[in-house]
Amino acid sequence: MRRPQKSCPFCESRVRWIDYKDDRTLGRFITDQGKILPSRLSGSCARHQRQLSTAIKRARFLALIPYIRGHQA
Amino acid sequence: MPRTYEAVYIFDSTLEDAAINDKIARFHGMLGTKEQPEVAHWGRRQLAYSIGPRENGYYVVSKFATEPTTLPEYERALKLDEGVIRYLITLHEHEVGAPPQSEEDLAAATRRDDDDDDED
Repeated sequence: MRRPQKSCPFCESRVRWIDYKDDRTLGRFITDQGKILPSRLSGSCARHQRQLSTAIKRARFLALIPYIRGHQA
Repeated sequence: MPRTYEAVYIFDSTLEDAAINDKIARFHGMLGTKEQPEVAHWGRRQLAYSIGPRENGYYVVSKFATEPTTLPEYERALKLDEGVIRYLITLHEHEVGAPPQSEEDLAAATRRDDDDDDED
């Protein structure tokens, strides 16, 4: 059974490059724990999913989004 | 050939604005760029997680074009500066290898995708 095709939210809004500084947008593509949402759930195309994962990793390094949400050091 | 880079610096939020500006001017002086780098101050904001004892940081984003050979010295200065909590330097050459798509291209790509689906 093929799963139904979801449309890529980035292609729909004509985003060519995902900005790692845009923490509000990136926040929509991480789980409650802070994990990267798989393309199976977000519907992102392969190209944007690759960009998204790089952008999220960069944003985490810059402390714009957490590595683990709700974690108290 | 000069390449365009984007750098994000996170400074210690206890530093004064004048001290931060001095540091930025010193770092950018090392790049030897003819054009003045574009600098955007985000100001003080809370970090998503604490870095050592720090909960806040002063964010600055800058964009500049420079020769790649000038980067090691510049990066070393950033690494050794105790006022810089973290920094990230990335290539900012989005135009290269990705020409803007026109309406027709996009429509053609969508049609191709649809055709592929039919074959399955």
